[in-house]
Amino acid sequence: MKLIELDNIFKIYNEDMENEVRALNGVSLIIDKGEFVAIIGPSGSGKSTLMNIIGCLDLPTYGDYFLNGQLVSDMDDGELSKIRNREVGFIFQSFNLIPALSAYENVELPLIYQGVRGDKREEMVFEALEKLGIEDRAYHRPTEMSGGQQQRVAIARAIVTRAPIILADEPTGALDSKTGETVLEILHGLHREGTTIILITHDSRIASTAERIIRISDGVIVQDCPREEAEL
Amino acid sequence: MNIGQSFKMAFKSIFTNKVRSILTMLGIIIGVAAVIIMVSIVEGSNKQIRDYYESMGTNKINVYAYKWSGEDVTDELYEYCLSLDELVLGVTPNAYYWGGSIRYKTVSTDKMEYGGPQVYMGSDQFSLCNNFEIEIGRDISYLDVKNYNQVIVLGARLKEFLFPYRDPIGEVVTIGEYPFTVIGVYEAKDPNSTWSMDNMAVVPYTMVRLLNKTNRIEEFVVKARSKKDTTEAITRLTGFLSGLIDENSGYFSVNSQNQWMEQDEKATRIMSLVLGGIAGISLLVGGIGIMNIMLVTVKERTREIGIRKAIGGSRKSIIIQFLIESSVICAIGGILGVTVGYLGTLVAGKLIMDIVLTPSVTMTIGAVAFSVVLGIGFGMYPAIKASGLQPVEALRAE
Ligand SMILES: Nc1ncnc2c1ncn2[C@@H]1O[C@H](COP(=O)(O)OP(=O)(O)OP(=O)(O)O)[C@@H](O)[C@H]1O
Ligand SMILES: [Mg+2]
Repeated sequence: MKLIELDNIFKIYNEDMENEVRALNGVSLIIDKGEFVAIIGPSGSGKSTLMNIIGCLDLPTYGDYFLNGQLVSDMDDGELSKIRNREVGFIFQSFNLIPALSAYENVELPLIYQGVRGDKREEMVFEALEKLGIEDRAYHRPTEMSGGQQQRVAIARAIVTRAPIILADEPTGALDSKTGETVLEILHGLHREGTTIILITHDSRIASTAERIIRISDGVIVQDCPREEAEL
Repeated sequence: MNIGQSFKMAFKSIFTNKVRSILTMLGIIIGVAAVIIMVSIVEGSNKQIRDYYESMGTNKINVYAYKWSGEDVTDELYEYCLSLDELVLGVTPNAYYWGGSIRYKTVSTDKMEYGGPQVYMGSDQFSLCNNFEIEIGRDISYLDVKNYNQVIVLGARLKEFLFPYRDPIGEVVTIGEYPFTVIGVYEAKDPNSTWSMDNMAVVPYTMVRLLNKTNRIEEFVVKARSKKDTTEAITRLTGFLSGLIDENSGYFSVNSQNQWMEQDEKATRIMSLVLGGIAGISLLVGGIGIMNIMLVTVKERTREIGIRKAIGGSRKSIIIQFLIESSVICAIGGILGVTVGYLGTLVAGKLIMDIVLTPSVTMTIGAVAFSVVLGIGFGMYPAIKASGLQPVEALRAE
């Protein structure tokens, strides 16, 4: 079942000017429900740009993006924020936690935007924190936590809404290899539960755990195949 | 998103940046305090003016007329005044005895510290026209006037002087060489300041022949039924008198206290506009300060805004969050400003008017409400700016 469908997507900065950049230069792609996809490619090739478009944080310059069969470029701000809230969970390389809020409050935020009631919210937040084994850090602020702990809070925030899609942009980039392994294990756990995972990574070992590998270079897909056939 | 959460967030960010929040509020605090103090002073002095005129009697018309020839117009004028029945509550001649002191046994008012008492000669409507109320005994009656009774009603101050701690009713005082029986005492009108309004006495106007050796009375006081009737009565009296007396034959004037009161009130109204304008400008400056700080806040928290958008914050929720933040700052500033304004009003009331002056409740609530409106008004632009940020770009900010 088609979950994500990109049809000839372009993302062009400073179009028709001397400093024009084609971050995505005609990308077509279909991702089905329940897949575990790794996106690899050199720095500056357009991986993050692609992921931001998939997560509705950014809109393509040209081309159509269908999410669940709906054309994203037709949506207004309310619908887009609803998708970001309910359909996708974002995990960033730099965690992106709000420093003024505790771990608990950071994880709670998507549920608040969703309008979940207080007691239900508390239950869901603790469930997510427990899943990542950081419930004992619930009332710590991000600055009082290690990188690995912060990333786990960020993952808890991404999964707390039980979004069907998890987008992870180099989630292990800022972590040591052991912590990175744990994070990867968590993602695989979610995948086993049926979540669609899209993961950007530089690490070929991590990429090799995915079902499908997409390689990007200069804004175009140069390879898209199951793990077994991929050259890493 | 839930409004309660927005409030929580607003308080959180206000308290994490305490010093900055207070500096931001300062403009609002000063502005609100200034408005409250100034309006209270103006209202207070307006009330003082009104009270002053009211104690003398509002809707009161002073009629003054005489002829160079010495020809008497008293009766015609009095009759005309009485004929204005539908406009008028009461009419009294208002003659003065210029002779000076009143004596009771060995006590003479010559020795009074505020000068001799004013002895009026009036009708049974004197107290009505001049806003006096009987405290003990009785007032001058129609029969007293008609029968030339030598009776006197004392003002509170005069009673205190002549009969301290004693019942004066039935006692006999002398004016010049004539004895007068005390039949009543008026309530004090003006006990806290100079007592000047209470340093008086009234005898029937028919005593004018006895005391002033004349039948002529040049002054009358007319008490109109309302403000409107005052104006009408003035017009009619002026018309009547100009038919009776012209420039060559004599002089007359018809005045009401209302005119003076209106003039005084107008003066304070102008003052209140000027002061209010100044206070308003300081509030405006405070509001601009809020806008400035909110813009800085938005800039500083660009990344936070990006994160909020990435996890599902809509434009609307971001706008609400920042509006709540700026209005909470302003509301706190407004409440602090009201507190400062209260203290300032108390101090100013004591120093300037020597009374206990407190701001009105309406104004207090209004001031806080206005600060919230200011917060929303000046927070709007920064909030819209924040909500318009593109998620990706906001996330890239440092
Ligand atoms: N706002 C922008 N203005 C101009 N060019 C931009 C902008 N954002 C991204 N780019 C360019 O688009 C290209 C793709 O960027 P992108 O962040 O997607 O790369 P990436 O594959 O994620 O790289 P990395 O692995 O280093 O994260 C880069 O060349 C980048 O310089
Ligand atoms: Mg990237």
